[in-house]
Amino acid sequence: MVKPAIATPAATNPFFPLPFLVISRRRETRDTVTLRLRPLSDVRLIAQPGQFMMLSVYGVGEVPISVSGLPRRPGELEHTIRAVGSVTRHLVALHPGDQIGVRGPFGTSWPLQLAHGQDVLLVAGGLGFAPLRSALLAILRERWRYRQVIVLYGARSPADLLYRRDLSRWLQRPDLVLRITVDHPDQYWRGQVGVVPNLIRQVTAFFEPANTVAMICGPEIMMRFTIRELQKHGIPDERIFLSLERNMQCAIGLCGHCQLGPFFLCKDGPVLPYSRLAPFSEIREF
Amino acid sequence: MSDRSVLELLATHPFTADLSEDQQAQLAACARIAHFEPDEYLLREGQPATAFYLIVSGLVSIEVFVPGHGPRPLQTVEGGSAVGWSWMLAPSRWEFDARALERTTAVVFDAERLRALFLEDCCLGLRLVQRLLFIVTERLRAARLQLLDLYGPPRER
Repeated sequence: MVKPAIATPAATNPFFPLPFLVISRRRETRDTVTLRLRPLSDVRLIAQPGQFMMLSVYGVGEVPISVSGLPRRPGELEHTIRAVGSVTRHLVALHPGDQIGVRGPFGTSWPLQLAHGQDVLLVAGGLGFAPLRSALLAILRERWRYRQVIVLYGARSPADLLYRRDLSRWLQRPDLVLRITVDHPDQYWRGQVGVVPNLIRQVTAFFEPANTVAMICGPEIMMRFTIRELQKHGIPDERIFLSLERNMQCAIGLCGHCQLGPFFLCKDGPVLPYSRLAPFSEIREF
Repeated sequence: MSDRSVLELLATHPFTADLSEDQQAQLAACARIAHFEPDEYLLREGQPATAFYLIVSGLVSIEVFVPGHGPRPLQTVEGGSAVGWSWMLAPSRWEFDARALERTTAVVFDAERLRALFLEDCCLGLRLVQRLLFIVTERLRAARLQLLDLYGPPRER
């Protein structure tokens, strides 16, 4: 006998957040944590790497946060959050056992299928590593599908590096090229110092521009200079993908807060190829 | 190390790889190969700038010594790039320190001979000065980006 599906308000109404439980909290840096969330209902929200969820703290507000990991169990979510405002400060202060509201997933995802059989270049700056981490984890889970996998990551200082345990593990992998740089080293730092676009010329031997898919996430100025560098090395605009952060509010393309040219970044983005964005690149923010 | 080894390195280094064999040979005559152990200085602030370094492999930190804080790295330079252009301009003294962070191999040019070569063969001189200018521009751009503190907190949410 087929059990009848029960339509919950959340399943039918994209504005209705579902209750989730915080099941773990990992401190990444002074102001950033990674939360793992488990649904308290039977509805599964399956997010693809690159998509975002609207996380709400009851009575405080709601923010768009990209998924930063893969689910360990069906329906679980992982988000990395930096405390920069009222809602995010509350989210960062949550602990296992606390509840929040979640709606989504929203937006476009990283082009992982397009990257099958291709070289993959991920360029991350600062907190922009969070959305790319989910893509990287998906790539490493099916590593055989891709050719060279190259990750370039820039952070403000060694203390601001996210996912240190992952980074140490990835640095040991022979099938992954990982370069890390910081802008402001401390006295113990023995690695590279400088901005992340500078790392690109160090890895040109590892990718064939015409067969490379590049994915970039970070501050827009960093992405702008990274794009120029990738173009210099021959990667076509349609193979350069960016994740753009905007003032996402409704998350379903109704309110217009996240509009950029003809795009509503909450539904047409956040991940878009540069070939579509280039005509609007003269707008002061992409 | 023989000139031949220097020539081999110049033939593959991005700074000189596309020069003619004759030009590479002219440059090799002014150069030697040097190895630097971790924490060994290639050059020191205030000292006469008597050399130009093409980094072949390793990692070099360009830094400034801040009294009370020690060396403050500003940027690192890896294999395939170059270090040092103070020798081109008076008063030809290094403005920063350069210290090897890893075992580093470099082709080291004698600045006086290089300057003489540039005057003797202006075409070669112009090509190399253009390349140096490209590196200077890249470093300036990187320094400007670093000044922006790109990874600082975004707007509040």
